[in-house]
Amino acid sequence: MLWEGGAPVSPVRHLFLVPPLWAALTAGAQAGAFVGLMAGFLQAPLVLPAIERVGLTGGAVDGLVSLVTPAVLGAVAGHVRDQAFAGARRLDALLEIQQRLAADEPMAARLDLVVHVVRDCLGARAVGLVVGSPEGPPAVASAPRGAALATCSAAAWCLASGKSLRSRDLATDPRMTLADVSPSPRRAMALPLDAGAGSRGALAVEWRGEVPEATARAATEMALHLGLGVENARLTLRQRRFAAELEERVAAATERQREIDRAKSEFISVVSHELRTPITALEGFSELLLSRPVPPEHARRFLGHIHAESRRLGRIVTELLDLSRIEVGVAPVLNRERVDLAAHVERQIELFAGVHGGHRFLWRAASPLPPLHGDPDALDRMLQNLLSNAVKYSPRGGEVRVSARAGPGGLVELAVEDQGVGIAAEALPRVFDKYVRIANPETASVRGLGLGLSLVRALAEAHGGRIEVSSEPGKGSCFRLLLPGGGGISPDIPAI
Amino acid sequence: MDLLTAPFEATRRRAPAAVWRPFVAVSAIMLAVVGTGRLLVLQGGALADLGVAFEGAGVHGGFIAQGLVIALAGQGAWAGSALRVAAMLLAGFLLGRLAPWGGLLLAATPLVLLQECRRYPILSRIGALEPVRPGSLTIGFAVGAFLGAHLLITASLTFGYAVSVAGASAFAAAVAYDVGANALSAEWLFRGTLFSHWWRYWGFWGAAATSTGLSLVRYLLDPALPHTAEARAGAIFYLAALGVATSVLRAWSGSLLPGYFASVAFFAAYRTLIVW
Repeated sequence: MLWEGGAPVSPVRHLFLVPPLWAALTAGAQAGAFVGLMAGFLQAPLVLPAIERVGLTGGAVDGLVSLVTPAVLGAVAGHVRDQAFAGARRLDALLEIQQRLAADEPMAARLDLVVHVVRDCLGARAVGLVVGSPEGPPAVASAPRGAALATCSAAAWCLASGKSLRSRDLATDPRMTLADVSPSPRRAMALPLDAGAGSRGALAVEWRGEVPEATARAATEMALHLGLGVENARLTLRQRRFAAELEERVAAATERQREIDRAKSEFISVVSHELRTPITALEGFSELLLSRPVPPEHARRFLGHIHAESRRLGRIVTELLDLSRIEVGVAPVLNRERVDLAAHVERQIELFAGVHGGHRFLWRAASPLPPLHGDPDALDRMLQNLLSNAVKYSPRGGEVRVSARAGPGGLVELAVEDQGVGIAAEALPRVFDKYVRIANPETASVRGLGLGLSLVRALAEAHGGRIEVSSEPGKGSCFRLLLPGGGGISPDIPAI
Repeated sequence: MDLLTAPFEATRRRAPAAVWRPFVAVSAIMLAVVGTGRLLVLQGGALADLGVAFEGAGVHGGFIAQGLVIALAGQGAWAGSALRVAAMLLAGFLLGRLAPWGGLLLAATPLVLLQECRRYPILSRIGALEPVRPGSLTIGFAVGAFLGAHLLITASLTFGYAVSVAGASAFAAAVAYDVGANALSAEWLFRGTLFSHWWRYWGFWGAAATSTGLSLVRYLLDPALPHTAEARAGAIFYLAALGVATSVLRAWSGSLLPGYFASVAFFAAYRTLIVW
């Protein structure tokens, strides 16, 4: 059928091209070349005798060409098909890697999935992925699973140096220390995951047998994409953390702002009430004096009320002025002089004891008490606020203990301790904030501006001291005012 | 995974090869034995048989010894192993000259070589000790049989060479020669040692082309090859195809055995060809 009158039958002999083409398109270059070779071998007994009989004629050359054509066609078509398939597979793998790396999972789990994708794509025997971490040891994943990273290994060297490594055969590579007797060469590559911002990790790939150059290039390309993916994952993680932190901060700030708004509203209401009370008294008594003749003894009493209420009004206005100064960041003006702390404390206690007879006041001072330099008026205001707080938040019959002694670092410590409702631990950091009144059902009826402790702190700090608080709910609170003693005064204050 | 776990030192260099001195020594001894054999053949008479045996044992034993030296990098007790294999070959060749079926003793040489290989686990690197699947042996045999059959059909159709078996004992002796000497030494040296070595450095095609080229040189220098132009052209074509095919089999299976089976099958077919 294939031979007629000493020359091959051309149309039929082209059928030899069909099997290699089919093999190439379905199974690739190796199969195409193999089937093509077989086709050539099968044709040879038909073509070669013709050459022997008629010599190297045109027909014979045509026969020789048709002898080698199936193998060449099979190899070339298969190669093109392999390249197309490899390109598509690589693209799929790269997309999958990007997806895996972007997933919201721990890095180790993501890397574990990625190494299997890389291994399948590159047809490698083993793949290892190392990603450096600034917070601890590098994350390591390998396929097959279970390989740990040795600090003296090639991958560790690649991670540390940012350099790549290519080995034609690990078993005979002088840089490796291996006892390997495998019958095939073990090609290997270790590539840094560098997306332009320095090495973030290393990709280690091991093959057994032949590795086409295209595969090696694909590994390099994959390392670059992995570098980008890891960098993106790192940035995404940082962004997520930052967003969560920001969200938390915004929520806290919003809550604080709401609290301040509530406190301000309450403050305005309280201020209005506090101002209205003395003003009403002033109006009332002054009208009484103006509207009709009043006996001198009554007039004196009314004037006494007017004087007391105007002092009260003055104190409120002073506090508000201090508050406005603190608000704009200006420290209160102090007129420092030598202060007899014990005398001040005793006087304030006497005043309070006179007004609040239901409370017991105990005063204890260390002897000798270190000298104190400060503003006597400010000191009185601090004492009044602390004592007022202690009285307001203590039950009737409660004990208010005041003590003074030399504190640490040349400071003088003045402590005011009550047996009141106490303050919850979580509320302690806020007790010195402006407008803040700690919510407590037992003290809901207590009126106040929420400014006293804030003013105490501002005045203490203006003196170069500080105020501390410790409290146990249900048992009471202790405020310690620490003010600089005589050794801690600034040079512009005249020595006594 | 060794890239993650094995110790690595980036600056370490390869130690100087210790293979050249023993390789040259083996080659010199090989030439001396073959030369002695040739002299004895030229003497004629009873010594001629001994001379032929010396020639055969010298060439094939020399090839196997060279392969051992390269595969073991000149280390270990390769000399003793090479001597034992050479002694087996000498006995086989000598017995083949003395008795019609005596040459069958050569067929036992692979067993001796296998026994020697067991002493050196590193010979797994050349595929000598690798476990092999029966399927790959069948494929190897089929490849050799296909090439052999193709040779017979093409040679008979093209040049009119006859296909015939002169006698059972002669054919069996020829096949035993291929089994124990010709195919064994060629596969051992060219595929086992040289291809396996170069494959690690040059890639498959570089190693296959070089080792096949050297094996072609070996056969073209063989005085037993018919001297006609078409026979030499055919030898080049088929031995090149056989060389590439056995290289593929070695790389694919990891073992020398499929390629060795292919060689034996091909040469067994070749032994039935009468070239005139």
